[in-house]
Parts: sequence; C-alpha cells; structure tokens
Amino acid sequence: MTEFILHQIYFDNLLLFIFSSILILSALAIITVQNSIYSVLFLVLNFVTASGLLFLLECEFLSLLFIIVYVGAIAVLFLFVVMMLDVKILETSKDIFKYLPAGGFIGGLFILEISLLIGDSFFNNPYVYDNIGNEFTNNYINFYYKLDFFTDINVLGQILYTYYIVQFLIAGLLLLLAVIGAVVLTMNNNSQKTKKQMFFKQISRSYKNVLLI
Amino acid sequence: MVNLILLKNVIILPELFLGLSIVYLLLYGSVVSTYKTYPLIQNLMLKLSALVLFFCVFLFFNDNEFFVNNSLLIFNDTIICDYLSYVSKSLIAILSLVCLLVIKYYLKDQKLNQFEYTIVILLAILGFFLLCSSNELITAYLAIELQSLAFYVMASFKKNSSFSIEAGLKYFVLGSFSSALLLLGFSIIYGLLGTLNFEDFKILYSTYTPGSSNNLILDSALIQVGLTLILISLFFKLAVAPLHVWSPDVYENSPSSSTIFFAVVSKLGILVLLIRLFQHSFHGYIYNWRYYVVGLAVLSVIVGSVTALEQRKLKSLLAYSSISHIGYILISFSTGTLEGLQSLYAYIIVYMLAGLCIWSIFLVLRLKTFYAQKQNKDLTDYALLIKSNNIVSICFAIVLLSIAGFPPLIGFITKMGIFLSAIESSMYFVAIISILTSVISTFYYIRIIKIVYFEKILVGSLFHPLPFIESFIIVCTFLSFIFLFVNPTLLYLLSYKISLLGFL
Repeated sequence: MTEFILHQIYFDNLLLFIFSSILILSALAIITVQNSIYSVLFLVLNFVTASGLLFLLECEFLSLLFIIVYVGAIAVLFLFVVMMLDVKILETSKDIFKYLPAGGFIGGLFILEISLLIGDSFFNNPYVYDNIGNEFTNNYINFYYKLDFFTDINVLGQILYTYYIVQFLIAGLLLLLAVIGAVVLTMNNNSQKTKKQMFFKQISRSYKNVLLI
Repeated sequence: MVNLILLKNVIILPELFLGLSIVYLLLYGSVVSTYKTYPLIQNLMLKLSALVLFFCVFLFFNDNEFFVNNSLLIFNDTIICDYLSYVSKSLIAILSLVCLLVIKYYLKDQKLNQFEYTIVILLAILGFFLLCSSNELITAYLAIELQSLAFYVMASFKKNSSFSIEAGLKYFVLGSFSSALLLLGFSIIYGLLGTLNFEDFKILYSTYTPGSSNNLILDSALIQVGLTLILISLFFKLAVAPLHVWSPDVYENSPSSSTIFFAVVSKLGILVLLIRLFQHSFHGYIYNWRYYVVGLAVLSVIVGSVTALEQRKLKSLLAYSSISHIGYILISFSTGTLEGLQSLYAYIIVYMLAGLCIWSIFLVLRLKTFYAQKQNKDLTDYALLIKSNNIVSICFAIVLLSIAGFPPLIGFITKMGIFLSAIESSMYFVAIISILTSVISTFYYIRIIKIVYFEKILVGSLFHPLPFIESFIIVCTFLSFIFLFVNPTLLYLLSYKISLLGFL
C-alpha cells in the first residue's frame, strides 16, 4: 500500500516537474523569440501547461477556464492582431547583448534571493513539528471533513456570490470601466469618413513584405 | 458565518449611491448623445456629476454611525468604516467636487467633448472611496485597479494629441507592471500567513518580537520580500524617488484637467492603504521595513528639490515638487509613532489644499493669445501677472510661500510637525538633511513669485477674465489657508483622532 502511494507521489511529482519546466521554458521563449507569431504560440503552450498544473492541484474549473478563456479567446485574438500588423523584424540581437550583463545580473540576483528565501521558509513545516522539534503526535483526522461534498464550480460560486459580493460588484465596475475606456479611446465620431477597401493594396500584399523573419 | 447584505451595511451608502448614479449617468449620456444632431452634453454631465458628488458628501456628513462606533467592519470584515476612512473619503469627495467645477472651461477650450470623461473621473473617485475603506488585500487590489485604470484612460483622453497618447501608454505600461508586483507581494503574504484580512495581520503580529524562535513563519524573510514588493508598487504609484521617472512626463503630457486629479486627489487614497497596511497591520514588524522607507524618503526629498530647479514648465515643476512633498510625508510615515502619523495626515491635507489652489489657478488662467495651441505651460507666461490680475497673483504667491514652508503660514506649521516627529524618534540626520533640502526647494517657489511680481519686462501677457465660480473657488481655498493658520486646531483635531485610530 505504501509503495503504491509512494509511486503515485513520484508520478505526480514527475508530472509537476514536466509541466513546470515546460512552463518556464515557454515563458522564456515568449520574450526571446524574434518572430511574434511564434511568441504567441509559445504563449498558448504556456497557458496549456499552466492549466495542466492546475489540474494536478485539483482545480478543474480554473484549469478549464484557463483553456477556454486564455487559449480560446485571448491568445487567438493576439494571433489575429499579430498577423494583421506589418511586423518588421529588427536587429535585436545586438540589443540583447547590450542589456544582458546588467539585466542578467539583476535578474539572477533576484531569482537567487527568492529561491534561497523560499528554501529557507519552507524547509521546516511548522505545522508538523512543534516548537522543540518533536513531531506532533496527535494525528487525529476527521475524514468526514475531508470528503468533497461540492464540486469546484459550486464552491467558487458559493464564495463569490456570498462572501465576496462587494468584490464581485467592484470587478463588474472594473469591466464596465474597461469597456468605456476602450470605446472612448478608439471611437471616431467623424461619420463622413467611411472605411473603404483598397483592392490594389489588398491584392498586392504578399508574404514577403508582410513578415520579415 | 457568511453574512449577506444586512441593514448595517447601509453604511457604504455613499459608495452604492455613486456606483448606481454612474450607471444611470452612462445610460443618460449614451441615450442623449446619440441623437441625430449630436448635442454636446459635456457641460451638463459635469454639472450632474458634481451634483452626484455633492450628494455623496452629504451622505458622508449625514452618517451618524461614525460618531457612535469607533470602527465598524462590514461585509464579512472586508470593508472597514472608521474615522480614517470617513475623513479621507469626505476629503476626496469635496476636493474632487471642486476639481470637477474647475475644469469646465479647460474642457471647452480643448474640445474634450466626449461625455464619458466625467464618468471615468467618477469611477476613479469610486475606486478611491473603496480604497480608503478596504480592510482586505483583494478589495484593496480591486480598488487600486479601478482607480488606476480610470487614470490611464484620463491621461490619454485627448486623442488628437500624440503627447497625451504617449502619456497614457507610459502610465499604462508602467502602472500595470507595478500592479503585477503588488499582486506578487499580496500572494506571497497570503501564502505565508494564510489570511487576507488586515485585522488578522494585526492579531498575528501583535505579540511579535523579532528574532524569537517560536514563530517560524512570522519571522521568515519571505514576509519581508512580500512587504517590500508591496512597498515598491505603492511607492511607484506615489512616485517616490527611484520610481518617480514616469510622473513628470505623465503630468506634463496628459490634459491638465486630468493632471489636477492626479496631483490633488490620487495621493491620499494610496497613503491610506499604506497607513492601514504598515502602521496598523504590520506595525509589529516595523523595524524590518522602516530603514528602507527612510532612505527612499530622503532620496525623494533630494531628487524632487534638486531636479525641479531645472524645470522651465509649471506642470513638471509641480510634479517634482509633489515628489519632494511625498518624501516629507514618508519621513513622518517611517517614524511609526503617533506624532508621525498625526503630522503625516496634517501635511497631506495641507498639501492637497495647496495643490488644489495652484492647479485651479493654472487651469483658470487662460492666455488671450495662442491659448489653443500652447496653454500657459511655461513659467514665462506668468510674467507680470500682478499687472493683469492682482488678486490671483496674491493668492498664487501666498499659497506658494505656504507650501515652501514660510513661517507665518500653515505650511510652516505642518512641515515643522514633520521635522519634529522625525527628531522625536531620534532621526536627527534625516531631519537635518531634509531641512537643508527644503531650503533648496524654497528657491524655485520664490522664483515663480519673482516671475509673477518683479520680472523686468515691459509687457506681460494678457488673460481672459475669470469666471465667477472658479474665482470663488480660488479665493475660498486661499482663505482656508488663512483660516488654518489662525486656527490650526481644526487640522490637528482631525489628524489626532486619525492617529489614535490607527493604533487602536
């Protein structure tokens, strides 16, 4: 029995490591890849692996929401926008080497500090050991409370519509503000200027002068 | 126990009223403005939103509950109503009401005719109200996002000016970066302490002594990382010295009717959150964060004072002067004592009043020539203002002397309170440096007065005559300075009660 549990734990950890390493690598690739379409595709990969991580944590609703909202809507939107723009690829490799020493030093320092502190903070679990260092002997667990009565979405709804009702309303106002701002900043009141299709320009677009890789 | 909306929750009636009236104003505006004749309803919307804010002020003052209870926690302890939030919300409501009245002619001249402008302003003010009364990290984050998103829109509202667009983009990118840092800090603190509530933090850290081994999590350095990230983000939004680079650009390039809100209203809400988090909840942890805050405060006093000497434009000069004022405020914030909190609050009230007076003078004075192309941005536009408008130049000079800290004025008293609170908590070196730097900063205030009064040119520039309401507002803020100098007890009464509640 214990071997089975250990096996399961190792398997979980294995999946965790796979997902998180893909997540980190794809996040790196988003900002380092020159072609912006590839960068958006890496973003999609990033979201998919993040939702896999959430599945491992048993947050099914959130992970499915990730896939639907981020991958289905936002990343596809990004992809459309990127494909519509005339993206000229610049010589950025020089810039990278210019900023690499200072930026890499500061970033590496930040990562080092944070990882040291995380190792420091979670090395001992204070809820397993008491002050002197003995393990807590009272391991009574009421398994009745451990059962899942509710599904994920049910619990989220319960919390959101009762406990966090004010915050829910504020989030609604935030969305309203976002809509108002987007409409105001992009609306053109000049009704005389109608948009015209320029056939010549459309036909003469070719692969070469749209994307330079 | 989960509570739904109860009768006592009516205490956030002003916020509810404001939110509902925003929705109604939006409906009204979008229905009326889509008539075939395209009527301009900007003026109407300004007056309506001023009316809404007036009713909010009325509702705040009408609330007798505050004088019965010391502090009231509602909505499952996520919203707090105490004297601090009460006074801050009333101040924000009154000042933004005055700002709304002042910007009318500027909007008319600059042809900012979309009616959504006032609605965005009202949403920002609603964000400030919620920020002042938030007692929880999620609520605070949402309120900060509400106000800062509204500010991004306000900064880039003048669409045909590329300066304004640039200001809005700069503000948006940098502001959302700092919001991400804020969320990272919040999540680290939530991961370690397992709670989001300010009162719970207070209880956790009430018996905390640094270095004792029996509280492993409370003592861990990761808490300090989280608090540092929160401090960085909030200092960014306050434009404290190493993170101040965005603020002169945004102040200079965004339309002046938005800048008056950035300058006058925006600091108080974030300072209230800082007071709640760091003076109330994590006050037991003060010896781990106050040294950084002192360093940043002195740095921003120096940067704000020295860099402003170079400025030739009034708006960026005022932006740098606001950086140095935030430095003074942070000096008394970092003392962590009752006197420090009291002098902080007195200083921010006087700073907001002075900012209101100066910015409304800046907005109301309109050059007769070339106003549409270049507004009166340069300092030289005010040359010999004394000849063309005597009273305004007297108000201008007195208020500038007050925020410079000249002795027989209220600015001197509050600034002295800051230095005294620094000295009382044995920060002698900080006090000496900031006193010396305030002498430097007096130079550029006096230079403005010299330009207004004694410039050696023959002809000054002519201005349009001032409208009634605006001149009334300028004179009222000016007279409030005189009144506060004669009777500063009112200021001290407010700030002392707040400083008591911060520690209870």
